[in-house]
Amino acid sequence: MPKTLIAALVLAALAPLTFEVKPRQGVDFVLENSPTSQKYLIETMPGGVALLDYNNDGLLDIFLVNGGKVSDPMQTPESFDRSNPKYWNRLYRQNKDGTFTDVTKQAGLANAGDGNYGMGVAVGDYDNDGYPDVFVTNYGKNTLYHNNGNGTFTDVTEKAGVASGGWSVSAGFFDYDNDGKLDLFVTRYMEWDTKHSKTCGGEWRTYCPPEEFPATTSILYHNRGDGTFEDVSRRSGIPSKKGRALGVAFADYDDDGFTDIFVANDGMQQFLFHNNGNGTFTERGLEAGAALSEDGRRLSGMGTVFQDYDNDGRPDIIVTELPREIYGVYHNEGKGMFSYQSLQAGLGELSSGSSGWGVGLEDFDNDGWKDLFIAQGHVLDNVEQIDPSLKYKELPLLAMNHNARFERVDSGANAPWAGRGAAFGDLNNDGWQDVIMTILGGPPQIFMNRGGKQHWLVISLRGTRSNRDGFGARVRVNGQTRFATSAGSYLSASDKRLHFGLGSNATATVEVAWPSGSRQTLNGVHADQFLDVVEPEKP
Amino acid sequence: MIRIFITLFLAWQASSPEVMQHLQAGADAEKNRQYTVAISEFRKAAELDPQSAENFVRLGQAYLENRDYGGAIPPLKQALKLSPEMLPAHQLLGYALLAQGYAAQAIPHLEKARDEAALGIAQLEVGQLSDAVKNLQSALAKNPHEPDLIYYFGRASGLLSKESIDNLLATYPDSARAHQAMAENYYVLRQMPQAESEFNEAIRLRPDIPKLHLELGLVYAGSAQWPKAEEAFRAETKLQPGSAEAAYRLGNALLQQGKVKEARAELIRSDGLQPEMPETLYSLGKAASQEGDSAAAEKAWKKVVELENGTPLAAQAHFALAGLYRKQSKPEQAEHEMEEFKKLQNNGVANEEAPPAQ
Repeated sequence: MPKTLIAALVLAALAPLTFEVKPRQGVDFVLENSPTSQKYLIETMPGGVALLDYNNDGLLDIFLVNGGKVSDPMQTPESFDRSNPKYWNRLYRQNKDGTFTDVTKQAGLANAGDGNYGMGVAVGDYDNDGYPDVFVTNYGKNTLYHNNGNGTFTDVTEKAGVASGGWSVSAGFFDYDNDGKLDLFVTRYMEWDTKHSKTCGGEWRTYCPPEEFPATTSILYHNRGDGTFEDVSRRSGIPSKKGRALGVAFADYDDDGFTDIFVANDGMQQFLFHNNGNGTFTERGLEAGAALSEDGRRLSGMGTVFQDYDNDGRPDIIVTELPREIYGVYHNEGKGMFSYQSLQAGLGELSSGSSGWGVGLEDFDNDGWKDLFIAQGHVLDNVEQIDPSLKYKELPLLAMNHNARFERVDSGANAPWAGRGAAFGDLNNDGWQDVIMTILGGPPQIFMNRGGKQHWLVISLRGTRSNRDGFGARVRVNGQTRFATSAGSYLSASDKRLHFGLGSNATATVEVAWPSGSRQTLNGVHADQFLDVVEPEKP
Repeated sequence: MIRIFITLFLAWQASSPEVMQHLQAGADAEKNRQYTVAISEFRKAAELDPQSAENFVRLGQAYLENRDYGGAIPPLKQALKLSPEMLPAHQLLGYALLAQGYAAQAIPHLEKARDEAALGIAQLEVGQLSDAVKNLQSALAKNPHEPDLIYYFGRASGLLSKESIDNLLATYPDSARAHQAMAENYYVLRQMPQAESEFNEAIRLRPDIPKLHLELGLVYAGSAQWPKAEEAFRAETKLQPGSAEAAYRLGNALLQQGKVKEARAELIRSDGLQPEMPETLYSLGKAASQEGDSAAAEKAWKKVVELENGTPLAAQAHFALAGLYRKQSKPEQAEHEMEEFKKLQNNGVANEEAPPAQ
């Protein structure tokens, strides 16, 4: 091989990965968080984003959750003017040419409820009809939209019995009892309302820390399979501990065949709900070593991801935090134990001056190691006045994974933002993972992966005995493992397809452990394709 | 004015029975806190026996007890006319003058009475700061739990420090020390870019000043700029190879960057320079644990627990030991350490600020 060619190949391999960050035609959404002088805490917490293929045309569409109008001060009864189009949630359908069309109204998603201030979104096919359904969390009542399969949705909240109340934040669909039907977990932040709000910070007048308000419980709904859900929180043991939950992610951390729940709590210990396999959960965060920092300190947990970052086959946990803390990396040691590995993973240097929210572990450079993307920006919009060393608007963190150690690279972001939600998926079906990030008071930022020469494989699961989305399945490809889910991050739902970077491998061995217990192995799978894997109907 | 009760053991000189009667009535009234009655009785005694300094002192004291400081001054001055060396009269007159705002006039009387506390306060009032600090420090050593004294000592020290720094800035504004002083001020105010700039200027002018690099390193560590912190701490260790703190800080900066081997070596060096420092031992345990040397980690953390009692650092060490024992599949020991940690956590200790690792 000529030396010049070798040099070119080496340079190509070493070239920094970059995203192209630019507005996508047709996506004209602005996240209206409506900051006021009252410093209502809700204003700084939205908003979620989902990447889903709602019309099954093979192209990812975008659903964005809006905040609402907040009066200064708020009157009772609270109204957030959500019937005003400015404050609608929005669904953007992707067209074949990569542009988007706003289909919110025709899809039946315009009515978010005037009493609801929008927060997050979860996506899952709860009725196994092949079309993804959408659950929107709010400060107020939550909303479940059933996908009718014809481009429209129906608000089925009342029938389904999942409105709950209070301040819901992140949510996710998962099948905790392996009955083949997706259940629903909803985190709630705290007991708070605009009437009982307060400001902190003395002369600076700013948002209060979470400790100023009472903790509350999260909610677990069991899917009855008839379009309705039952609130099984009490029976399941989930409310045994009150938290200030912001993020949630799912995986089977102890490999007992039942999906467990990790809850990122703000300003207190994190919760790891172990699924006992009998409809109940036991909170084991402290005992398992996944509740506090290495020094036994409480963390300001916000977003979280529950995937395997070091390719040992076991799901690890990453939690995003506030500055002066380090993003938590809880490495799964096996036997149900975790160890705090933030410094070893390189996050001490990368994170302790930053505030992280949405987070994803995705193999952006297709080298076979999952990289890290974190939406960043401080909670307090006047933090620079209080502490000039901190910044309200920050660049997102993109860190590449080199043998389980993360190193910062240029994300391609051209300005700092107050980042919040983040969802991950392959928007243009080129085999390279893209990112969409929401920002307070602005349009979402879409990071289109410029791609490269490495191989990849994207897998779509179709459960038959398991839930149709295959959520909870453990998929191994050439020594890498992903746990099938659309949940995780902060307030957001990612592409349910499972993406693997294969490096220079042109073929792959695919092993799927379905929630039903059945296992499948596919050998000699060609790289660079979108592979559908259907669960065998018989064990 | 500080509240100091003195008991006067004045020997009542041979006085007439009438004078004795008034003195007794005055003393009884004082006991019952009827100070205006006491004043009246002592005044009558002084009028009947105007050559008795003691009678005027009693009268002055009654005025003081009635918080009529202006009223106390004439009888106390009269007492000193009659008996110039009478220490209680000097002391009380010093108080009265100080309370009335005549600190300069109070000083000679308080010096005479050797009342360091009140003298220190008077000196503080007139700006004799170094004398004030000296006297208040001495008074505080004898009475360490007196909040008023602690307050005045703190105020005097602060003002003295400010005066010295102001002097430095005015006289030698371009000196390294002036830039260091400015940097330290900015650091306290958390204005880190300015602190960084001033420290760098000080280092440019006098790179040999001890602790300058260390302080710059702390600025970087505070904002998690670990490579820069490492560089600054390394410079300090070169300048002061015998500084345990510099070695400890460098070790921590390295630890934060995951440079575990180097970090451990530096922490071991720090421990050698100044053994049994709990903060160093705690970090040393972390470095050892990260290197997989569980025995060394256990030893270091156990020592922390032994040295510290119920402190945030002890809580951290218990928590770390629990994790270590869990990894070693020693559930009973892990549970014990976790229980100890939880006890401290429930007491609100675990999340207090431990000495910074950065």
